[in-house]
Amino acid sequence: MRNTWAICKREFKAFFLTPIGYVVTGLVAVISGLAFSLQFLEYVRISQDPTANAFSSVPDFEEWLLSPFLLFCGTLIMFLSPLITMRLFAEERHRGTIELLLTHPLRDREIIFGKYAAALGMVLVLLLIVLVDLGIVFYFAEVEVAVLVFGLCTVFLMGAAFISMGLFISALTRNQITSGSLTFGASLLLFIVGTLGEDLPETNPAPGDWPQMLRTAAGFLHGVLRRLLLEVRLDAHARDMAQGILQPQDVAYYLLFCAFFLFLTFRALESRHWRS
Amino acid sequence: MIEVRQLSKYFGDLAAIEDVTFSVPAGQIVGFLGPNGAGKSTTMRILTGFSTATRGTATVAGHEVHTEPLEVKRRVGYLPERVPLYEEMVVSGFLRYVAEVKGVARAERRGEVERVVERCGLQEMHHRLIGHLSKGYRQRVGLAQALVGSPPVLILDEPTVGLDPRQIVEIRQLIKGLGGEHTVLLSTHILPEVAMVCGRVVIIDRGHIVAEDSLANLAGRTLEEVFMAALTRERAAAS
Repeated sequence: MRNTWAICKREFKAFFLTPIGYVVTGLVAVISGLAFSLQFLEYVRISQDPTANAFSSVPDFEEWLLSPFLLFCGTLIMFLSPLITMRLFAEERHRGTIELLLTHPLRDREIIFGKYAAALGMVLVLLLIVLVDLGIVFYFAEVEVAVLVFGLCTVFLMGAAFISMGLFISALTRNQITSGSLTFGASLLLFIVGTLGEDLPETNPAPGDWPQMLRTAAGFLHGVLRRLLLEVRLDAHARDMAQGILQPQDVAYYLLFCAFFLFLTFRALESRHWRS
Repeated sequence: MIEVRQLSKYFGDLAAIEDVTFSVPAGQIVGFLGPNGAGKSTTMRILTGFSTATRGTATVAGHEVHTEPLEVKRRVGYLPERVPLYEEMVVSGFLRYVAEVKGVARAERRGEVERVVERCGLQEMHHRLIGHLSKGYRQRVGLAQALVGSPPVLILDEPTVGLDPRQIVEIRQLIKGLGGEHTVLLSTHILPEVAMVCGRVVIIDRGHIVAEDSLANLAGRTLEEVFMAALTRERAAAS
């Protein structure tokens, strides 16, 4: 535990000893601040005259502004997470410091959890920045706390998922650019794959003149694939949670996602023993 | 203190080292000598638990490197050949981090860092960024991190390479002073260095141990003669 903490501290400080920490926090501050202001102004405009904008009454603040904004922040973190994770292992390999790291009396789990915790710390810092935007609104208006808390948890879980994937990819490479681009590509793929699922027809696409057994099999496979594509989408599980509706399968999705990639990271680090 | 038995490491079909056997007695400084690419770094990397041997065993301070890597790592200070360091950290911050992961108790960390800083002559560089240091000072920081926690065994991979003559003399003096208290295995391809610093020598060529003896037993022959004779004998036998 003490060693995990030591690694975590060093990694976290490294973000701010190099420009990368300032770049990420700065981008989040500017982009989330701008997005929030624009959305907020739009909300104010609609609220002043709801009927002219096809609303029967003033639209719900949480539903129309807070949740979409938090989801937007989750997406923003997705775009920036490669910057956070790309250096975690790739830089150690590139500089050769991995030789120190792996010959100091540390267990693999202390190294991996330490680095993961440091990257999660960065996500928390980004959430704090987002909270500044929201804090201004709370000062003037009453907001449902549940929506806010679950919304922030959602963004954090999304971040944790992207980070775990980035950590794994970083453990595979020695070049930060490769690590970052692969992480970015994989996150984007996970995002658009859900759209593909939505485009697939709900009914069995197999032609009617196929034998019954083949039709059933094709229909089954198609169904599984469609469900899988819809479920694997990273933001699909965030929507309800960002509205303050907590469902176990959504939380489980993110936790399993993280566990899966952390497991792969362990295997990737371990591979040094059998790869020559 | 270090017992290596029939250690082999293959990269694909290429044998980096083959059936390497030697031992290092406690408290001695042993020179690990060989031409470039002979397998010195490969052997040292296995001894420090960084890489894994294909065959054979190696015991450091009573613990087998493959079955008890953590116990071995607790007892070994290692200076890798390229001296990799976290360049964005300051010297004292880096050494404090090393003390922490090496398990030095919180109350003793400051004293321990001061001790190695003084020993390696880094007092004036204490608050400098590692990335701004010259090659010689980087080497000292590498050595200092190996010394943190006073491990009984030190494995130093080419500790004097790339230094200016004055720095070489200083680092050699420093290493010489480590004998007795520490068991040191030091690799180099500079022959006079071994004669000056080490009490014993192990010569490796193309992955095989070709000679192992104490310097006193060389009986009048210079190290150079012994080295060249061992190399020719081995190469004649191989062809």
